[in-house]
Parts: sequence; C-alpha cells; structure tokens
Amino acid sequence: MLKSKSFVKKTRKGGVIKIVREHYLRDDIWCGSEACSQCKQDSFVLEKAPSVASDKCNFPHYILPDTNVVLHQVDILEDEIIKNCILLQTVQQEVKHRSLPAYKRIQGLTTNSDKKFYVFSNEYHKETFIERLGGETANDYNDRVIRKAATWYSQHLEKNGENVPKIVLLTNDRANREKAKNEGIIAYTVHEYVQSLTDKPYLVDRLAQLAKDENDKEKVDQDIKTGKGRNVLYPEHLNLAAIQKGIKEGKYKQGTFLSSRENFREGYVSIPGEEKMYFIKGLANQNRVVSNDTVAIEVLPKSKWTCPSSLVEVDENVDPEAENSLENDEETTSSVVNSSAQPTCRVVGVIKRNWRQYCGTLEPPSMKGGSRHLFKPAEKRIPKIRIETRQAESLLGHRIIVTIDSWPRNSRYPVGHFVKNLGKIGDKDTENEVLLLEHDVPHATFSETVLSFLPKMPWVITEEDLKVRTDLRWLDICSVDPPGCTDIDDALHCRSLDNGNLEVGVHIADVSHFIQPGNALDEEASNRGTTVYLTDKRIDMVPDLLSSNLCSLRGGEERFAFSVLWEMTKNAEIIETKFMKSVIRSRAALTYEEAQLRIDDKSQSDAVTTSLRNLLALAKILKKGRLDKGALVLASPEIRFNIDSETHDPIDVQEKMIRETNSMVEEFMLLANTSVAKKILKDFTKSALLRRHPVPPPSQYEMAIKAALSRGFKLEIDNGLALSQSLDKAVMEDNPLFNTLLRMLTTRCMTQAVYFSSGTVPEEDFFHFGLASPIYTHFTSPIRRYADLMVHRMLAVAIGYSEVYPELLNSEKMQDICKNLNYRHKMAQYAGRSSVELHTHIFFRDKVTIEDGYILFIRKNALQVFIPKYGFEGTLYLKEKGKDSIFTYNEQEPSQSAGHIKFRLFDKVLVQISTETTNLQHQRLRLQLVQPEVPGFSVPRTPASSSRKEDEEPPAKKLKQK
Amino acid sequence: MSGLELLSDQGFRLDGRRPRELRKIECKMGVFQQANGSAYIEQGNTKALATVYGPHEVTGNRSKIEHDKVLINCQYSMATFSTGERRSRSTGDRKSQEMQLHLKKTFEAAILTQLYPRSQIDIYVQILQADGGNYSACVNAATLAIIDAGIPMKDFVCASTAGFVSDTPIADISYLEESQGGPELVVALLPKSDQIVEFQVNSRLHLDNFEKVLDMAIKGCKDVHAVLTRVVKDHVGQLASKMSKT
Amino acid sequence: MASTQLSDGEKTFIIHGVLDNLRNDGRTCENYRQIEVECGVVSNTSGSSRLRLSNTEVLVGIKAEMGQPKPQSPKTGFLEFFVDFSANASPEFEGRGGNDLSEDMSTRFAEVFQTNNILDFESLCIIPGQCCWVLYIDIVLLECGGNLLDAMSLAVKAALANTRIPKVTVLRDSEGGEDIEVSDDPDGYHTLEISKVPLFVTLSKIGQKHVVDATLEEEACCSASLVVSVNSSGDFTGMVKKGSSSLSNDSIHDMLVTAKKVGIQLHKGLDTLLSEVGQSTAGRGFLVG
Repeated sequence: MLKSKSFVKKTRKGGVIKIVREHYLRDDIWCGSEACSQCKQDSFVLEKAPSVASDKCNFPHYILPDTNVVLHQVDILEDEIIKNCILLQTVQQEVKHRSLPAYKRIQGLTTNSDKKFYVFSNEYHKETFIERLGGETANDYNDRVIRKAATWYSQHLEKNGENVPKIVLLTNDRANREKAKNEGIIAYTVHEYVQSLTDKPYLVDRLAQLAKDENDKEKVDQDIKTGKGRNVLYPEHLNLAAIQKGIKEGKYKQGTFLSSRENFREGYVSIPGEEKMYFIKGLANQNRVVSNDTVAIEVLPKSKWTCPSSLVEVDENVDPEAENSLENDEETTSSVVNSSAQPTCRVVGVIKRNWRQYCGTLEPPSMKGGSRHLFKPAEKRIPKIRIETRQAESLLGHRIIVTIDSWPRNSRYPVGHFVKNLGKIGDKDTENEVLLLEHDVPHATFSETVLSFLPKMPWVITEEDLKVRTDLRWLDICSVDPPGCTDIDDALHCRSLDNGNLEVGVHIADVSHFIQPGNALDEEASNRGTTVYLTDKRIDMVPDLLSSNLCSLRGGEERFAFSVLWEMTKNAEIIETKFMKSVIRSRAALTYEEAQLRIDDKSQSDAVTTSLRNLLALAKILKKGRLDKGALVLASPEIRFNIDSETHDPIDVQEKMIRETNSMVEEFMLLANTSVAKKILKDFTKSALLRRHPVPPPSQYEMAIKAALSRGFKLEIDNGLALSQSLDKAVMEDNPLFNTLLRMLTTRCMTQAVYFSSGTVPEEDFFHFGLASPIYTHFTSPIRRYADLMVHRMLAVAIGYSEVYPELLNSEKMQDICKNLNYRHKMAQYAGRSSVELHTHIFFRDKVTIEDGYILFIRKNALQVFIPKYGFEGTLYLKEKGKDSIFTYNEQEPSQSAGHIKFRLFDKVLVQISTETTNLQHQRLRLQLVQPEVPGFSVPRTPASSSRKEDEEPPAKKLKQK
Repeated sequence: MSGLELLSDQGFRLDGRRPRELRKIECKMGVFQQANGSAYIEQGNTKALATVYGPHEVTGNRSKIEHDKVLINCQYSMATFSTGERRSRSTGDRKSQEMQLHLKKTFEAAILTQLYPRSQIDIYVQILQADGGNYSACVNAATLAIIDAGIPMKDFVCASTAGFVSDTPIADISYLEESQGGPELVVALLPKSDQIVEFQVNSRLHLDNFEKVLDMAIKGCKDVHAVLTRVVKDHVGQLASKMSKT
Repeated sequence: MASTQLSDGEKTFIIHGVLDNLRNDGRTCENYRQIEVECGVVSNTSGSSRLRLSNTEVLVGIKAEMGQPKPQSPKTGFLEFFVDFSANASPEFEGRGGNDLSEDMSTRFAEVFQTNNILDFESLCIIPGQCCWVLYIDIVLLECGGNLLDAMSLAVKAALANTRIPKVTVLRDSEGGEDIEVSDDPDGYHTLEISKVPLFVTLSKIGQKHVVDATLEEEACCSASLVVSVNSSGDFTGMVKKGSSSLSNDSIHDMLVTAKKVGIQLHKGLDTLLSEVGQSTAGRGFLVG
C-alpha cells in the first residue's frame, strides 16, 4: 500500500503551463553497503572494507563523484582500480541530460558487478531530498543535493560503529569543495585523488586535461584580462547568448568548420543553405576550432579578403612547449588583395564542439624526458594535440587514441589525454582497429550487461513455444548463402499444393524473439545498427551466440523463424500472403554454388532440389516482372580476397561470381520485404520503418549522360523504365565491359536509399527507385541489420503475436532510429571499402603488376582508371607537380591527347600498379601507364616481379628529369 | 529507450513510487448540505467532487421513466482550470459524454435499482484537478456520495487503473505515465464479490501480459476499497457521536 | 436560480422579521453569514480559492496564460471571466441549465473589472502589442445557498491574492525576433496588487427595508435588489438594479449608504481572513473539518 511518509509538490513551469507533479519521499531506500546493518537490504553492492592504496585516503572509503567528474572523467571511472563508487540519482540524471554517450558508459559501469557502483536514489529518499531555495541557481542546488547525500552517507555509516568506510567526495569545483569541507565531508579533486593512487601511476595519463580545478579556469581568464598571465595566443570566444544575438542580427553566421587538408593554417566554413564556403586563413582567425565543430563566424570586410596560398604547409613543429607564438601566422596571412580573393572570415565563437577520439601517432619528442608530448592525428584535418604521458617511450611507433579535452587561449595546441594504445603501426590488427575507429564503428566486445540478456544455454524449444508458433518442421526448407556464411538469416521452401498452385515460403531468423525491446542487448544492437563486414573480419551487431548459433538457420537444427508464406500460381501470381512465427528445421545450408549444382544435376530429384528448381523458375518470372516495371540493374565492382589462413594476408583476388541462385534468393527476399512493408504500413501508418530510394534529380545524371554520349549512346532518364531500357541498349561490340562500366557510372549518380518512418514523408515519396517498388522495407536480415529487427517487431504486432510498445507507435522516435541506422549503414559501407582498400594495399605491398584498366573519368591532370580484376580504381597522374603536362586536355569531348595518342572515356589501357611508400599513415597505390605507349611518359612493360629498387625509383621520374 | 524513463533501474517511478503503489488517497464524505449525498476525493493530484440527488421524481422527459427500476442520471464535468492547459468548457465534449455513459453503466450495475421504480437518481461528478485516473477518482467519489445519500448498493464500487512499462505492471498511473502512450487498463470492481462492473483497455496489450496488468488493477481496486471502508466507518462514527451529543 | 418554494405565511414571517431588524437565522439586516475562505486549493492553477458563505460554496481557479493583447489596449494584459454553474450545486443546472445565469454573471464581473485601476494591468504586459498575460478567472459554483454574486466576488479577490505570475524575461534582438524565457527559480514569480479589487454587495429589498447577504428564502421574498461593487475604501465602481419591481430614489440612497458601510467592513474582514491563510499554496481543500 501507500508507503510514502510525506510528499512535496514540485512545480515546474515550462512555458506558461504550470505543471504539478507529486514527489513521494520514502524511507525504504537502502544504502547498498555491506558495512551497514541498519538497512533491511537483501544484497549489497558496496564492499564492507574497500581497499585501494591511496596516500591521501589511507582508510577504507567509497568515492562519490559529482556530475562534472562523471561527465568528464569516465575514462578514469572505467579503470579497473576504481571501485566502490556511489552514484547519486541526481548525478546520473544530470549526466543523462548533458551527454547520452557518457550516460551509457556509466550505465555499463553500474551493471558491471565487478565495479561495485551503487546507484543511490537520493531524490526519493526522505532524508536526502531537499528543496531548491529561492534565488539558488540550478548548479548550486545540485551541489547542495550532492553534499547532503554525502553527509547522510557518512552519518548513516558511522552508526554502524568504528572503521566503517568513509565517503570521499570528488569534485573539481573549488567552492563546492570548500563548502563540503566546512560541512565535514572529505573532498578532493579527481586529480588529487588519482595522483594519490599509488598502485596505478599511469592512470594519471587518462585524466581529462581540463583546467585542474574548475575555478582555475576563471583564474586564467582573469590573468589574461589583467595581463599577468602567460602569452595569450588566441582571441576570446563570444558566449552563446552573444553569438545567438549576432546571428539573429546577421552580424555572424553559423556553420561547420572544415580545415584544409593541404595547409593547416587554412580552412573553410560551410554555411547551411549557402553554396559557397567561406575561407579562413591563419590560426588566430581559426581561433581554436577543430574540423566539424559548429562555429559562429564573422565575414571580414572585403579589403581583408584573401585566397588560399596554394602552399602545402604541414605543421612541422614537434615541440609541445611551443606555446609562445603562432609563428608567422600574420606573415603568411598577409593579405593578397587581388581578383582571386575569396570571401574570408574569422571565427568568433563555438556553438557546438564535435570532438571525438582520434587515432594517430605520437610525434618523436624533440628532447628526451618530459611528460608533455605532441600527438599527430591520422586525419589531416585535425590539429596536433598536446597530451601528458609518462609512457611516451613505449607509445612511439604505435597507433594510439587520444581525445581532446579543451583548448585554452594560451595554448598553441588543443590539450587532450591519452586513451588507448592500439598497437604497432602497419600491423593488420592495428590498422583494422584504426579503420573501425575512424568510421565510428562500435566494435568493443559486448559488455557483461548486454550478454546477461542472452538466453541461457542449453537452449531448447519448449511446449509453450510450440503452442504459440506454427510448426513448419515438416517442410523441406533449405538456405542458400555465400560460402563460409555463419550468420544464416534466411531460408526458403517451395512445395506443390493440391490445387496445382505452389506454396513458397521465406523463413527469416526470429531474432526479435531473443531481443526484447529496450533492454541493454537491444540498445547495443540498435546503436550498432548493422553488422560490419571487413575483408577478414566481421563486427557483429548481436553477440555471437545469437548471430552464429541460435538465430542462424543452420542445416538440420530446429530454429525459430518468422515465415512469410505465399500461395502462388505457376505464373508467380500471388493468391494469398500469410505471416507467422514458426519453428523450422532447415534440411541443408547450401552455398550458391552447391544449390546451382543441384539444380543443374538432372539426376537429383529429392525434395530440396525440386523445391529449388521451382523457386528458380518462379524467381525468373518475378524478376522479369520487376525489370519490366523499370527496376534497375546496376553494377558495382565486388571482389573477394583469398586470405592466407596463417598470416591472414590476402594472397589472391577474385571477382565475386554471380550465379542464377544468387538472383533467385534475392528475388524472394525482395518479395518478402515488399509484402512485409505493405503489411506493417497498414498497422503503423505513421511509424512504420520503411526504406525508400528517392528518384534522383535529372541534374545528377549529367556525368553519366555525358559519358554515354561520348560513345554515341543516349541515356533516357525520364523514368526508371526508360533508363533501364536505354542502359540495356548501350552495348559496344568491341568493348564488352562498356555496359558494366556505364552501369557503374549510372550507379554513382543515384542517391542513397534510406530508412525512414512512414509518418515523416508523404506516401508518394515512399517509392524505391532502384527496385521500382512503391513501397519497400528490410525484413530478411535481422541478424545483421537492426532495421529488420524493428520491422520484425512491427510485423509481430501486426499479426497479433506480440504487444505494441509506445516506441513502435512514435514516428519521431522511429525517425531517430532511422537516422542512426542510415548513418551506421553509410559508415559500414565506407569501412568495408576501406578494408578492401587496406587489403589491396597489403596485397600490392611488395608487388609490381601490370593489368588491364578502363578509363572511367578524364580530369584536367589525371585519368581515373578502373581495374576490373581487382575491382578498384586509381588515379593515373598525367603531370607532375610544378611541371607542364605533355597532354592536351579537351574538356568538351572529354579527352586527353599527346601526339597521335588520344585517351577517351572507356578506353582500355594497360597500367602498372605499385605501392607508394612515402607516407606511412596514408599509403597509396601508384598507377603508371604502360600501353598505349606515350613516349616520355609511359613505362616499359616490366615483368610482374619487378624489384624493389625500380619501385623506389620509378622510370617515369627518371624520364621526366631529363 | 530514450525520453522519459518511467521506471528507473532501481525500480522507482518518476514520482518516487514503486510499481505496485497507489498514490495517496484522501477523501471526505458529506461536503455539502443541500445535496442528498456528496463526497470529495483526492488521488494524488487528481481531485474529484461528487454529489447525489435523489431518489426523486423523474424530471424532464417523462418517457425516460423506467417502470421496474430507478433511472440513473449522470453528468461528468471537468472544471475549466482542472487541466494543464485551460479547457474552454466544462461539459458536453465527446470525452465527457463517453465518461458519462461509462459512469451510468457502472452504477446501474451496483445500485439496487429495482428498489426505486419510476424514480430518478442524479449522480454529478466534477473533476477539479486532473492528473490521471479521472474515471477512477469519479467512481470512487460517487460511491462515497451514494453511500452518504443512503442509497443501497450491492457493494462499494472501487475503480483503479494499471499500466505496463518495461515488462512491469504499474498501479494507479498518473497523467505523466498515461501520456507516454503505453497500455492503460481501467477497472471498476465490486471488491467483495470480485465482480468487474466496468473495464476498459486503451492501446495494445498482449494477452500474455494482460493477466498481470489486470491483477495489478484489481489489487489497486482492493487497496482503494480498504481506504474507502475506513473513511465510511470514520464518517459514520462521527455522525453517531454528533447525534449522541445532541 | 435555485428556487425555494415558500408559503405566504413563511414569507410574511420573513418580511416582518426584517422590519424588526431580526432575520430568521438571527442576523440583523446588515450582517453577513459566516465566511470560510481558503487559498491554493487547486495546485495546477496560478491561484485559487475556495469560499464558503454559510451554505453557498464557490471555487475559483485562475490560470495565467500567454496571449495577445487586445488591439485597443496593446500595452496591457486582461482578464477573462467564466462562471460555471455546476450541476453539483443543483440538478437544475444540468446540461445547459445554468447557461443563462452563467452568461449574466460572467458579464457582470467582466464589466466591473474593466475599470482601469482595479489591477495593474500594465504589469501583465510582456511584449506590447504581441504578448501579455491573460488571467482566466474561472468560477465554479458548488453549492447554492443564496447571495451568489457576493460570494463569488469574495472568492475572486481571495484567488487574485493567491495568484503567482511567473517572472519572464524577454530576449530581444534588433530584427524584432523575441524569445520569452520563464524563470526557473522557485521564487521567480510576482503577485498581484489587490487593494483596489472591488467586492459585490447585493442589497435585497424586502418589504420596506433592505438586507445584505440574503439567504435563498429571503431571495424568494425579495422583489428588487441592487448590486453595488465597492472597493476597500468604500468607493463605488459600479451598480446595477435587478429584480422585477421598482426602487424609489430614497431607498436607493439608503441602500448605497449601507453598501458603503458594509463594503468596507467586508473588505476588512476578508483581508484579515486572507492574512490568516497567508500566501499558502498548499490548501487542504475540502478535507478540512
């Protein structure tokens, strides 16, 4: 019954509506400490005698961090040495409010039983709740609440006798610390506390390098104002209110800063809605912003406009103490007022930082010793970062991760702290890790909490399960996948019905059965969004137990599935569509090749084979119907590396084979996806998760139209059907690859297909252009795509199998999910490509090969050449920097010619491929022309196993230097 | 899940209650003198007033007269200032009409209607402040008012709500919890016989969880019953002591 | 209005009593019945009060919402009155039963409160011509025991005294865009100056004399009445005659004299009561007693 002893009303005025909420205070919230005998708690989190060697707190104690400490020093809290921590509800809520990523990380800590983090619901506790006083700021109130809880804890524990743990309040706010001390609370800054931990001296490295004391910052600012401080290098930033005011008045503009790759003193700011970017020159004008920060700029008067210096300038400085000047900043910015001057601006303030963790390397120190070092990020657009570390020796030559904490006005470089050592440069694992980090792919091992939501093994199908599911184990179902696939999420069957029709079933792994909405497992999967496939590695969206076992529809094993059954005529006309949760037993997990062999082998006539033959026949009809409607057949190069089983280095490359069975499986997946999309839209008109592919605007086709025209073909772009037909017609007798290349170009003109919530877009825009389908979604790969999992949940509700939960009906939330999924998918694609690139580089590391290539683009100073055998394209430079080209560029045609040799689009060339070794961080493949021979430019046809020496001293260079 | 966390990992709801706890209930009978019966109830921040007039002759349209039982006439209204944003009128909107109908059905099932043929009982309820569970507050207030009027009923009618959040049924949901879009189950119960006289589910709720949520709502009704019984006993006790003094 | 049926005998009794300055409940002609008042009973309003005048009971809730100033006075906020004749007070008011009365009384309040200096309307203005506070004053009649207007005006004054208007700051820029920020400080509100708020005093003519604060029975005997609004210093801010019969010049004069005297006392009495209940925002409502 009612346990509340008393209650206070909290009044919150939002807008003008007075909202009154009840707030019950309780006396049944326990302290969570094993040392306490008063609380009637069944289990404890905090240890009875916590021991940690600290020369400041040499007594058993629990730490109690305040909001800012938790927010900024999660890296510290995550360290294994930090245990027995009291996390106040107030702190937790505030952290959640201010930074969701930080909140998620501390959630991970509280659920990790080793960490012994106890969440104390202080705001519901009768003795720790206090009301905000009139005139008190929200911050002061929070600090007071935290102190109140600390005091309560101390007094509460003291009642249990001597030697009970004490409470150590960690706060970097000096005023708060002083008040705490006056109230008899032991309080330290995190820095003091971490430094006092004698067992873990290196932990100091991971401290965020904010001003040691929050109040010190004010002091520095004070010093700057009074001129007492050290050199001030940068102008002050305006505060947010002033910026907003300025933007409203049109004095400032808001945009995203992007540093130049070539010159660290130069950068651009792109303003949403304005085509032209604004130029920024000089570090002082950039004023401590980092690429991707949202900034406020002021456009300089025309007299101060300038232009990029066309200088490639790399920050060569390696001295971390170089903080006295911005060296020659003014000199190089000395404005060149001429006709080429661009609109130039300066940064006046920061609206939102977009700092993340950066991969990179430590600069070799200019002098031995000292703990300050410079870190050079792999991404050229990011400035060097100053960090403090005592383990510099061991970090040299390694890839490390560093995060930026702040950028004070008197520091030439941003200040950050060391987070993690990834491993040696050039090591494949290290490079993979870099690749994942740079593409923001969450790839940490699944946390204990996440794993705790997995089903307990051994997993068996129970009677209850069978009651609510349709038993389809008697059907001859099989799966068809690429070789080596362990996450099988789809299986198929086809059988003849008595009425002469066929029953076709698509059975999809029932992942939503194992992942309940809202739990940690679900949130993790939702955040990951997709499984990421690298050439030699797979980053799972869900833990292995699910992806490769319980959800994987392996041959011969009983598995839960979500089935779509169609009754079809032999002409593939759908009579009826049914959806059901089922239990299936796949008869065989086949590869595309095996399936193809079975179909082709006339001697086989078992149930699975017959069903495959029927499926193939239906698929062909379906495909034809789709193509007739204007679905596009597009092309993108796909290759597979054969990986050495021991070194895991690629030893051979082969193009992916496309068999009839590939497109057979694809056809039924498309059909299932479309059927499901229709079904869920009916029940979730406003919040169905669908996928659309916007019709590209005609202007986007320009490049492809021009290319086709150069060979006398006309691309029709009025609609999908016309485009598809005109592509079909574009065939050149003497160039068999021409059609594929043109399709590749056309593919690049397309916009990306995206997930969206049905409530956010008018129905006519649901169209999927590539598939020529009015509605589409993803249903068939729930193991590796979160979108499919959501769709499963919707379908389960739509067929009355499970209940709806609020989020499924909330269009905005669905759109948020879609936004993340779209981002993750894009990043996963990029990561995949980078991985192929990485392997291509490793593959060519010690090789020089000569291959066929086709010209895809013609640029002013280069040809873009596609190498079909390896599925990549590279740049063939026609001119060295600073030298005149021997080629004449014709932009109209387009072509490049030298003498009687003329390069046109789609021309076949022979190129030599080798690796450029100058830049460690960014290796590049170098292409050189072999055929047609251009005197003074092309290289002679050399044997594939050319020596390293030649590689270092390319013949082209020699020739040119003559 | 983003947004409001209705149930914290520590097992507390936004207002500090545990899932099974009701809000604080306070009530008073006999708040007015002119009406035959009246009562006022507060369930947390939801405040309702009920008055009962009758049994009396049927007013208005005589065709409404029922020959074998009493006509129950209900009006539900919400004070214009009862909600967060001011309402433009207090009665007559669709929701009120619906609520009126529900109340009528609820009390037709509980009042011994056959005792007063050809007459009428008016039950007027008004929400003075709305913070979730308006229907249950009205039913509970009306029950007290009917008892105050001395009209015989089969049993108390006790109403309560239950919701379902993160796999946990929660009792007596507040406006904030109502507005998050989860399922809401409303039950009016005759507690002694465990008969459900009114029952309503908003939003989807899976059958597997239905039992749990219904149990929670019924438990809520019984807790309400305990409170109401005590109030009635106190009230009667006071009346008795007043009478003995005079 | 809730009618009471009286026999001729009963009427005569009341009329004769009034002549002797002794009314059937023991009061003199110029006495009010007992007043109970309480503030802050509805917590989600900006101000509220519950007032009981013997068995007349009124609940007032005031909500301050942002609205657009009226074009004729762009620099002031304004009040909106609504009187709800709840069916709780009498079955007669069920459905549309109370609409006419409601209209009548809402208008009466609106007219009297239009006078410029009653409240500091200018303090209710946020952005001239664009945004101001609108105080929605909603009066719910809960029990009907005669002399409704007087009771309502008492309750309105009490609720106004209880009203807290959030402090807002207007962030302005040169382009005319404005942003309104509401203070989140627990003390970030201001109260209204209510010393000039008038009260209604209804004088009912019974026989040759008149009484104040007539009960339902007395109202049944009354043929004409005068409603006078009086402020705390005894000035009249408005008056209107009601009822079917006529009043002579002399009796109006007598009535006004009484109104002034009683009005001042009434204000004093209410102010004393209000200072006792104080500015409390957490009323116990109907649970008292």
